[in-house]
Formats: sequence, structure tokens, C-alpha cells
Amino acid sequence: MAMATSTFSPRPATLRTPRPHSHPHLRLVPSPRLRLRRLARAAGEAPVEVAPPEQRETEPSPAVASNGTASKAATTAVKAEAVPAPVPSFRDARWVNGTWDLTKFEKGGVVDWDAVIDAEARRRKWLEDYPEATNTDEAVIFDTSIIPWWAWMKRFHLPEAEKLNGRAAMVGFFMAYFVDSLTGVGLVDQMGNFFCKTLLLVAVAAVLLIRKNEDLDNLKNIIDETTFYDKQWQATWQDEATGGPKN
Amino acid sequence: MTSLSSAVALPSSCRARPAGSSRRARMVVTRAAASSPKLPNGRRLRVAVVGGGPAGGAAAEALAKGGVDTVLIERKMDNCKPCGGAIPLCMVSEFDLPLDLVDRKVRKMKMISPSNVAVDIGRTLAPHEYIGMVRREVLDAYLRSRAQTAGAEVVNGLFLRYEAPKEPNGSYVVHYNHYDSSSNGKVGGEKRSFEVDAIVGADGANSRVAKDMGAGDYEYAIAFQERVKIPDDKMAYYEERAEMYVGDDVSPDFYGWVFPKCDHVAVGTGTVTHKADIKKFQAATRLRAKDKIEGGKIIRVEAHPIPEHPRPKRVSGRVTLVGDAAGYVTKCSGEGIYFAAKSGQMCAEAIVAGSANGTRMVEESDLRKYLAEFDRLYWPTYKVLDILQKVFYRSNAAREAFVEMCADDYVQKMTFDSYLYKRVVPGNPLDDIKLAVNTIGSLVRATALRREMEKVTL
Repeated sequence: MAMATSTFSPRPATLRTPRPHSHPHLRLVPSPRLRLRRLARAAGEAPVEVAPPEQRETEPSPAVASNGTASKAATTAVKAEAVPAPVPSFRDARWVNGTWDLTKFEKGGVVDWDAVIDAEARRRKWLEDYPEATNTDEAVIFDTSIIPWWAWMKRFHLPEAEKLNGRAAMVGFFMAYFVDSLTGVGLVDQMGNFFCKTLLLVAVAAVLLIRKNEDLDNLKNIIDETTFYDKQWQATWQDEATGGPKN
Repeated sequence: MTSLSSAVALPSSCRARPAGSSRRARMVVTRAAASSPKLPNGRRLRVAVVGGGPAGGAAAEALAKGGVDTVLIERKMDNCKPCGGAIPLCMVSEFDLPLDLVDRKVRKMKMISPSNVAVDIGRTLAPHEYIGMVRREVLDAYLRSRAQTAGAEVVNGLFLRYEAPKEPNGSYVVHYNHYDSSSNGKVGGEKRSFEVDAIVGADGANSRVAKDMGAGDYEYAIAFQERVKIPDDKMAYYEERAEMYVGDDVSPDFYGWVFPKCDHVAVGTGTVTHKADIKKFQAATRLRAKDKIEGGKIIRVEAHPIPEHPRPKRVSGRVTLVGDAAGYVTKCSGEGIYFAAKSGQMCAEAIVAGSANGTRMVEESDLRKYLAEFDRLYWPTYKVLDILQKVFYRSNAAREAFVEMCADDYVQKMTFDSYLYKRVVPGNPLDDIKLAVNTIGSLVRATALRREMEKVTL
């Protein structure tokens, strides 16, 4: 199957051949914590989260092998001689009429939003690799806002939150330690101290804003960027201020 | 309190100090035009308008109507500039354009995100509202002919350079290559020169006037466009529709477009940051439109620079710049025709007013009035679009959020109101807050998905 797909596909050079042995699902979540949780849940509620054949179906399949809109694409391709390969089209059993069929994501009566996020990320990634598959006839009605906020929170903020909390705690501890060792003011007394409260606020803000080293540069760039256009427009008037009247 | 409100009610050219431009306003007030000497009896103010696009045409017409001796120099009378050719509704009424100039009335704007989410912008349009699509060669020729009717002299020539006067209130000498309409520019042309009192540079992105006056450079985007003649059945789809494609494949910092023209479509894209890859982006745009333009015949290929911001200097002595030469193209939408024509008109009006209908000499301060007025009127529009571009054209994730946002009726209404009528209408504060929250939500979700996509291997 995998071989057949790659020979039919329009851009064999860029096509990444699927590795049959790897479990694509686990690679999506490198965080060991999440993986553990996920595995535990999968074991408790359902034996397999997503059937592997479905994953393979998202590979670019030749339009000839599919039905519906793709066969239309095949006929147009026959008409235009210049295009040898048919237009690939995104296929997934759970993708129905331009949206994810949420009933197929149900697990134990509730929708598994993590799987929906996975599926959507995969679809977007696939479309980025095959932009020619975008088609205005097949309107996408899936809206990411139908995924509830707590599903995003759980998935994207919680792992971060732990790191941030840990970082803030470490910074706080060492700050308290240094303040104590330098001034002799104990931890309890520091709580009532204005200077120490300010330090606390600065630390929290810094931990939130500077999560990675690159964030420092990013912040600087944003400040530059916001004023850049203003400067370009003001240039005419700056000149007047320094040059004075000419004629 | 009363004195304050009365000061605000005055036009900005007198005493009002609009927010954010207080310094400019003061600058203008310090030197009044009334001091300028009267021209010798019988002689009218002479102005050369270099370039016959919308800016030049509008400027020449307004100048001629105001009693100024106007010469318009244009090299290519049938020049069709690579240009989307979209004009807002208010331009039709403000410039009194005949409706047959408008080839197409676009009422549906489709915006397509990298993940194939397509949004039809234009649901909120009233029946009489539309975005007009014009062919530049037609619009430019029309505006020029109107200038000619108003009394401006239209010369087929290539502007070479100008000489600044040695003494104050002296004449500028304009040198140009004169082409006879019969030889049609095949021969080298004949070198000629004439004297003028002021020069309006409307000669586009590669402005020679700007170079001569030392206006400085601007960052520019390159726009590439193919005009494709497609079969009638495919053209029917584009009857009232224009398409905008966003995505890293199409352009890293702009959008790809399919705009309907009179009997064909214009397919193009633009970029500032990756100019060398423009061919690749164009191929990607074609690929996205795919079977909608399949089998089309390319009848013309065009490329052109588009300014990103105004030149550092837009006026020097009695020489000033308008339109693309000055750099009046918005970010985000890349719109410039309306602003070009408007700046030309405003500049001409300032000259007419400063010269008391062509009877007095003009001064730099008169030209600066046009700049102050233009900046006051349109600076907020430019700034908002700049912010939009910076926030939403940043990455595919941001573009997804942008398209998601555009599905909202409130956003569409606000966008079209500001586009069609060129005025920033304050919205409902509650809706604004809702919009802000939704926008942040969209951005966060799209960014989160983006991070997930980076981990996916297909």
C-alpha cells in the first residue's frame, strides 16, 4: 500500500514514506508525562485510541482509487495533458463533509478532544505539504473554537505550567536565600517588606514573559517593530525640524 | 473650555492641533503663504506634473481647474501597470468616475487559509456596495483626458531631470525627452526643456523626481502578476468574486490573489522579504487556484515594485511627491490607487490655494500643508493596516487566526466600511471587546496547533 501510494503520488521526492513499524501516534506527544497519562487512559477506557489504518489513509492517495470529488479531479486531469498526476485529496475516515465527525472521536461517551487536536494538526500539516489539494469546492466548516477551552488548557498550558511554577519557585527560593544572607532579614519578615514584594512581582512577570532565551530577542524585536512604521512616516517632519526653512 | 472647543472646530490648516500631529501643525502655522510674492502680471503659476497615473492625472486636473498652467509629462500613454486594480466605492463618487470604467463589481471576497478554510467576505455588503475592478490603462487614460479637458497640457515625454533655481523664487528647469505620437517612441526622442515654478512628482515607485530631490529610498515589495484568459465557464465563477490566498507557500509576508478583470483574471502575489523567490510564490498561487484557472492562456506577465512606507522626504523647496512616488501604499491590503489619486488632488488643491488660483508664487510651506492634511486624514488607516499585517501575516498560524476572524460579521462590516468609505468608524465598544477576546483566542489556538504540527511527521 505504501509503495503503491508513493508511485502514484505527484511529488515522490518530497513524499515521506510512512514507516509501518513506527507508531505514529506516540510520536505526536513527546512529553513523557502526557504519554503516560494518555496510555493509562487508553488502557482504562478503550483498547486502541485510533486505528492505525486510519492514519495511513491520510497519506496522499491517488484520486483514481477514491470516489466522489476526487473522480471529478481525475477527469479534469485527463483533459489537461500537462498535468500527469491527479490532484491529491485529503482523506480520513473521520473527516466528513469538511469537518471532523465528532461521533468518531467518542470514547466512553465523551469526545476525546486531544485526538481531535491531533487530527486537525495532522490535516493542516498535510495540506501545507500539498497546497494544491486545497479546494474551494470542498468547504471546510470545522472551526477550532468548537474544541472547549479546557481541552487546550489541559494539553498546552498544563505541561508548561509545571515548568513555570518550578522555575518561579527556584527563583523565589534563591532570591529569599540571598536576601536573607545579605541583609539578615528572614523569610517571614521578607513577606511584609515592600522591596521584596516588588522583587516577587518582577520575578513572576519575568518567568511568564521570558520562557525561552529567544523570547528576550523577540520582546526586543516587538518593541522595535511597533515604532518602526511611525518613524518612517515621521521622517518628513523630522527633517523639517532640524533643517529649518530652505527657500 | 469654550476656547478649546472652538479651536478644535477650526480646520487643521489654521490652528487645530489634531492628536498626534501637534508638531506638524505648528510647523505649518509658522510660515504663512500670504507672504509669497505676486507673479508678474499676466503670468500664471506654472506646474509640471511628472507621471500620468491616477496621482498625476488627478493632480493635473485639479491644478488646471484651479487656474494653474499645468503640463503633464507621461512616457507611456497606454501603460498598464501591474496592479490589482481595485478601487473603493468612495473613489467613484469623489472623483466622479463614470460607471463604465468599472469592469467588475466584486461583492464576494474569498479568503483562503493554508488549511483550506475559506471565508466569503462581503456578506454584510448592501446591494449597492461593491469593490470596483478597473483596468489601469483605462482609468489612467480617463483621468488624463479629464485633465486635458480641464486645460492641462499632456506631453508624451520621458522626464530626465530637473534643475533647481539658484535664486529664491526662481524657476525650475525640467528636462525631458519629447516623443512624437507618430513615431511612438521607436526613435530616441528629442531633448527638450521648459521652466516651471513647481514640480509634482507622480512618477511611481522608480521616481526620478524623488531621486533628484534627494527624497531618500523606501523599502519596497515586489508584485508579480499574470493575466490569464480563462474559458467563459470558468470565468463565470469569478463574475463577482475575487480570491485572496494566504499562506507561507504563496507569500511569506503578503497574499496571493486572483482578481477578475474585464475578460480575464489577474493571478499574482507579492513579497518584501523573499524577492528572489517570487517565481516560486507565483507558481504556488497558481497551484492553489488550480482547476479554477486551469487551461487558461497567459496573455501578459507583469512585475512591479510596491512601496512599503513613505519616503523620508516628501517635499523639498517647490518640489513634492504624490502617489507611489511618495510611498502611499497601505500595508496588508496593498492598496494604492485611491490614495495616489487623493494625494494628487490634495497636493493640487494646496498649490491652488497657496498660489491664490495661480496668481502668486507658492512656497514649501504650501506644499507642506498638503502633507500635513494627508497625514492627518490617512495616517490612522495606514497604521491600523500596518498593525494588521504585522500581527496576522506573521506565520501560517496567525493567518489561520486571521481567516477565522474574518468569518465574523462584525469584522466584515468594520473592514468594508473602512475600505469602501475610507473613514474609521468607531464601533460598538462591547463588540470591540468581544472581538479582541475572540482574536486572542483564535491566535492562541492557531499557535497551539502550529506547535503540534511541528511534531507531526506524515
